[in-house]
Amino acid sequence: MSAYAALSRAVYKAAVRDATTVFFTFAFPLIFLVIFALIFRNQEVADTGRGYVDYIAPGVLSWGLANAALFGVAFTLMQWRNDDLLRIIRLSPTSIWSVIGSRYVVALGIGAAQCVLFVGVAMLPVFGMRPDPTWPLAIPIMLLAVTAFLALGLIVGSAANTPEAVAAIANCVVVPMAFLSGSFYPLELMPTWLQEVSRVLPMRYVNDGITYAFTGFGTMTDYLISCAALVVFTAVFAVVGVRTFRWSNDS
Amino acid sequence: MSPIDSPAIVLDAVSKSYGEVRAADEVSISIGRGEFFGLLGPNGAGKTTLIEMIEGLRLPDTGTITVLGMAPAPRNLDLLPRIGVQTQRSAFFTRLTAREHLVTVAALYGLPPATAEKALDLVGLTDSGNVRVTRISGGQRQRLAIASTLVHDPEVVFLDEPTAALDPEARRDLGQMLRNLKAIGKTIVYTTHHLDEAQTLCDRVAILSAGRVLALDSPRELIARSGIGTRLVIPAGRLSPEQAGTLDGVNGVAVEDGMLVLRTAHAARVLAALDGAADLDDVETRPATLEDVYLELIGAPQA
Repeated sequence: MSAYAALSRAVYKAAVRDATTVFFTFAFPLIFLVIFALIFRNQEVADTGRGYVDYIAPGVLSWGLANAALFGVAFTLMQWRNDDLLRIIRLSPTSIWSVIGSRYVVALGIGAAQCVLFVGVAMLPVFGMRPDPTWPLAIPIMLLAVTAFLALGLIVGSAANTPEAVAAIANCVVVPMAFLSGSFYPLELMPTWLQEVSRVLPMRYVNDGITYAFTGFGTMTDYLISCAALVVFTAVFAVVGVRTFRWSNDS
Repeated sequence: MSPIDSPAIVLDAVSKSYGEVRAADEVSISIGRGEFFGLLGPNGAGKTTLIEMIEGLRLPDTGTITVLGMAPAPRNLDLLPRIGVQTQRSAFFTRLTAREHLVTVAALYGLPPATAEKALDLVGLTDSGNVRVTRISGGQRQRLAIASTLVHDPEVVFLDEPTAALDPEARRDLGQMLRNLKAIGKTIVYTTHHLDEAQTLCDRVAILSAGRVLALDSPRELIARSGIGTRLVIPAGRLSPEQAGTLDGVNGVAVEDGMLVLRTAHAARVLAALDGAADLDDVETRPATLEDVYLELIGAPQA
């Protein structure tokens, strides 16, 4: 078994054996879906003939994907550094890219599972989401979203030395970003200047891209801009992530 | 000199400072292949810094380090598979079982799961293989940490306080395991605060203080050279301190906790002289230990 495969398995097992991780990754976004569905029950968005769920579900899904990718990698990195596992890896012939790659492939798998579960539930008659035939466009944006927020998670995981610090920093990053990016609340209802602020936030592009894929809201150009923006965010976060990376807490 | 006769580890005038603190001060040590070598010293003496420099995790300011004929730093992919390092904290993969953890560590070295099974067996953990790493006992954790160190069959093994925080029985078992490792030809470098253990296990020890090597030799040689000698402890009242001082071979007399303590380099002569003056069955003979040598060197008050 290659180091890459073994590490992927170790990360996967650590994730699925932790009830908290499973809950926050899969159940938590569904709870938000239920809450928003109750708030916007039976309302249609003017002139579209669509229910609010078609707009709210992609937003909540964007937040859920970003949240899980960022928290997951930040916790793993902090934990592996604290437990001296990074030292064990450094003292073996395995490259750091196997470590990051294994975490990445698990994050992609979890992201895909989140999407399938979430959209499946949102399509139940009680919620009534109706994805457009363009829904496969959600796949690339999902992969890019996980990649960008995984890179952001590397920075958080290097900055934080305790689980409490990971939770605090990650929440401070993700929760305001979710609101400012229109994940929970339509951007169009916000002041113009706040809409402009959302342009520097990666979650806005996840949101735009997934919304376009599922509802056709926006244009293909907007969709491609979203993809490009996420590539740029990933590159920036990755550079900072590599620079802030630490093998141990005392060096 | 053929490679097999060449030393496993050579430190030549190695120095390292952190600001004002000298963590290593002109340290020169040569450790032979198959040697069981102990690094002793109080906390902060520089043991961990020294070991981390040998492992290639830290760079010395000056001096050179060679391990199995190679430079350990920068990260040396030819050397890493040939050394095994146990870290002070027991580092296990989160939420895995003991067996899964070892399979993962084996894979880091490109080795199949069967090697993990062998390592489990080597430390006697086969029966606990399916227990989560968080649920195994202290002694078993320490064994698992050592199994992680040995899974790729390294030639040189670094153990950082492997017997710390173990109960006496677990310590004894682990001591036996370490002897077995030496018997199969591993070079072992280990740190400990248990000086009795170091005395019985180590071929040679280095005693460090403030980054300097204060002594470097076999425990037996260090004890002999120290001149501390043997202490004979006699219940007080059997003979007076003055009488005792005149006995053949006695170097010093003290009264401690109601006992008369005689110091001598020639225990047999003193015992012969004592015969008649005191019942020899009551005389307790305490040979000097590595701990006595250590405390004298480090400057702590003697017990």
